[in-house]
Amino acid sequence: MNFSVALQILISGLNLGCIYAALGLGFFVVYSVTRVFNLAQGEFVMLGGMLTASFYTMGIPLIPSILLAVIITALAGAGLYRFIMYPARKSSGVTKVFLTVGFALAIEGIALRVWGWEFRSLPAFFNSPSIQLWEATIFGQTPWVIGVTLLMVIGLFFFFGRTIQGKALRACADEPLGARMMGISIERMALFSFILAAGLGAVVGALITPLTMTSYSVGWPLTIKGVLAAFVGGITRAEGVILGGLVFGMIEAITAGLIPGGYHNAIAPGILILVLLFRRHGLLVTAGRE
Amino acid sequence: MLVGVKALKEIPRKVTSANLQSLAIALSAIVLLTIPLGAGPYPITVMVDMGFYTIITMGIILLMGFAGQISLGHAAFFGCGAYASGVLTTQYHLSPWLALFLAAIFTGGIATIIGRFMFRLRGLILAGVTLALNLVFFHLVSSLVGLTGGAMGMMNIPPLSLGGFTSQNLLFNYYLVWIIAILLLVFSLNLANSRAGRALRSMNVHAGGSEDAAQVLGIDIMKYKVWAFVLSAVYASIAGSIYAHYTRIIEPGTFFVPLSALVVIMAILGGMASPWGAFLGAGLIIGLRELLRESMPVLVGGVTGSYELIAYGIILVVALLFLPQGLISIVHKAVPKKRAIVNES
Amino acid sequence: MKVNFVRMKSAVMPKQERERDTLHTPLLKVRNVSMAFGVLAVLKRVSFSVPRGNILVMIGPNGAGKTTLLKLISGLLPLQEGEIWFKQQRLSRIAPHRISSLGITQLFQDIQLFSNMSVIENVMVGCHLRAKTGFMRSGLRLPSARADEQSIFEVAMSKLSLVGLEQKALANPSSLSWGQQKLVGLARALATGAELLLLDEPYSGLLTDEVDKLNKLIFELQRQGITILIVEHLTDILMGIANQVIVLDYGEKIAEGTPAEIQQNKQVIDAYLGGGSLESERG
Repeated sequence: MNFSVALQILISGLNLGCIYAALGLGFFVVYSVTRVFNLAQGEFVMLGGMLTASFYTMGIPLIPSILLAVIITALAGAGLYRFIMYPARKSSGVTKVFLTVGFALAIEGIALRVWGWEFRSLPAFFNSPSIQLWEATIFGQTPWVIGVTLLMVIGLFFFFGRTIQGKALRACADEPLGARMMGISIERMALFSFILAAGLGAVVGALITPLTMTSYSVGWPLTIKGVLAAFVGGITRAEGVILGGLVFGMIEAITAGLIPGGYHNAIAPGILILVLLFRRHGLLVTAGRE
Repeated sequence: MLVGVKALKEIPRKVTSANLQSLAIALSAIVLLTIPLGAGPYPITVMVDMGFYTIITMGIILLMGFAGQISLGHAAFFGCGAYASGVLTTQYHLSPWLALFLAAIFTGGIATIIGRFMFRLRGLILAGVTLALNLVFFHLVSSLVGLTGGAMGMMNIPPLSLGGFTSQNLLFNYYLVWIIAILLLVFSLNLANSRAGRALRSMNVHAGGSEDAAQVLGIDIMKYKVWAFVLSAVYASIAGSIYAHYTRIIEPGTFFVPLSALVVIMAILGGMASPWGAFLGAGLIIGLRELLRESMPVLVGGVTGSYELIAYGIILVVALLFLPQGLISIVHKAVPKKRAIVNES
Repeated sequence: MKVNFVRMKSAVMPKQERERDTLHTPLLKVRNVSMAFGVLAVLKRVSFSVPRGNILVMIGPNGAGKTTLLKLISGLLPLQEGEIWFKQQRLSRIAPHRISSLGITQLFQDIQLFSNMSVIENVMVGCHLRAKTGFMRSGLRLPSARADEQSIFEVAMSKLSLVGLEQKALANPSSLSWGQQKLVGLARALATGAELLLLDEPYSGLLTDEVDKLNKLIFELQRQGITILIVEHLTDILMGIANQVIVLDYGEKIAEGTPAEIQQNKQVIDAYLGGGSLESERG
């Protein structure tokens, strides 16, 4: 393997890794605060992508398009919590999983009704041109993906670590009873976590649309990849989720580089499943937790 | 006390409610077998579809309702049966019946290996793993172009045939699917009230079982989880094989998460406690689907498939919030309980 | 009476010693078992043995590690340190269902009856090891499966009548009183045919006449040759039925002996009984 191929794989792995990490983080935000296994996360991403693409093609500039998409998707997230998860807050974990599945299917159906079967796309943000780096080509959107993901990660760490709202959220995750005693409304925090996850998802959706195109049915694969990234790295910590996403992206880029045909799409998640089976607490969590 | 239960020498009918079950089986068999006599091709086509879903959902009920293990990836096993049948008949020119049989064994084998490792994990993560398996399956059959035709699908799968009829004949399919559905129903009901079935139910933590209690009574919960998983996969595989020989064209998109979710919805709506739930759930959902497909585009326009997806989602949410035991619980409540005991003496 | 911490040197006994051991060997031997959840030590080098046919009562306040010890014996918790021997077999890294098939079963403090089955079906689950019918034969309802089912049913019914609840065979466990549920749990445990019965607080929540009934049953089981290990924090009742008493406190065995010896043990009275219920019984 020569240098430029390796570089190409590295860049593509970083690109994919950032996407998967961001997908995983959306799942993680809801899971860590509410312990809900949100299988509708991919639908938020789909909504974000489809809405941005629609607004953009209507002639609205990119940034307002994304903002509108984020707001609408966040509203959908609020709706999911307020009208489905909140009434079922005393149900078992399994029931809650299936509730999010129901929501996901309904969103998929609504998207199909609104946008039909066609795929939609966006140009690279601000029509950024591709970059030649030695012999590797970097698609114009890739720096945006990596940059915005990095910003989101920094933002999340700042939010959870420094702000009162973020600390309250973390308190709900770690010590629900204690949080309640300190006057934190767990319901409000849960609602907020769904809104945050939906908003994050929408941004990711807008980011990946120039790369992969989008349609009403892209939600499920995205959900699955996010869940895999989150659990493989270790769902207990955000660092684990980011690591899981990057590992996932790298594995996929390497298999795609080595094996032609669509096999990498099957092999990469396959490897992640294996990792999960043999390290059930994730890569970051070392021995002693058993 | 209504009867001197002290004198019980045999397993009382109430334990197995065998009388009622046999009656219900006989009635449904008669109804199902006579329906085609007065029906046109459209309702029969719909009923064939319903049959496939009923079979897969019965497997889901074995796995989720009996053993209490979650799967959101059974479309992969449905697909595994369909593709194995397709490959064996088109590439290796085996007889479709033999292919159906070998496909079931192949799928069962795959499920054994997966289950053996997968059940090292417990709880909700299984939802994620089974979803991911479905994704892997989807991409695998999409990529193995030489074997499966890839994303374009596999064509010209030969039909099943028996005594001069083939599955190009709609009625043949109807009877084939429903006879198998009823046979598998009898199998599931027998299982429910047997040593193996009780072992499965005893470890179902979602329905009042306990893994710890099951284990100290000598039940190998790992083995039984794997068995339930394998059986449910084989049910799906059988449905898949018949489906492949019936439609004669299969493509990867059919065997993805929405189908996996749909059979779970049928099980939840119908009720997980009994295999009968599959008949109720599949019947109602497919009935509703057809209603929506026929009416909605005419009434309000739009893409045909969209309304049913929305409906599935709403049904799942509503069923979980307001009918957690499924529709079968209504039937159970309707059957008077005291009378069943009187018959025993 | 002081606890004697004898440290066993090797896990595998020399063959000669093992053969000699067969004659006098206790049914259950626990040697230097320690257990910690994280930094929290729950059991500290606990050793004791139970001769065949004995009724051993283990008392100690809540949190003394009694339930943990039972779960270690039945295999529901993995053994961290020490050894547990049952008959001639060392129980380590053996799955709980295998331990059950060796002849140990447990009645949980919260019983854990299967509420998705009738009472008789619960007891029939206890008969799991008495038959071999698998999925295929069950599903096809072959004659052998029916015969199995019938014999399982008869055994289950006999266990149910042993505890006097055959009238409730068809009821749902949740419709029974707490005491009746305990008895169903006991019948279910007996159905396994276990030689060693681990009872986790069987007396908790029982009414006076139910306590008497349970006492009679336990004596009856002893007469049938079943060895019983009872864990309780109630003390009065148990002194009447125990052959052997062990006192656990904060994970340590602080005393062992006959009921009479324990009742006079200064350390026990200070550490645990504090002049409570035992005092009154002694007086």
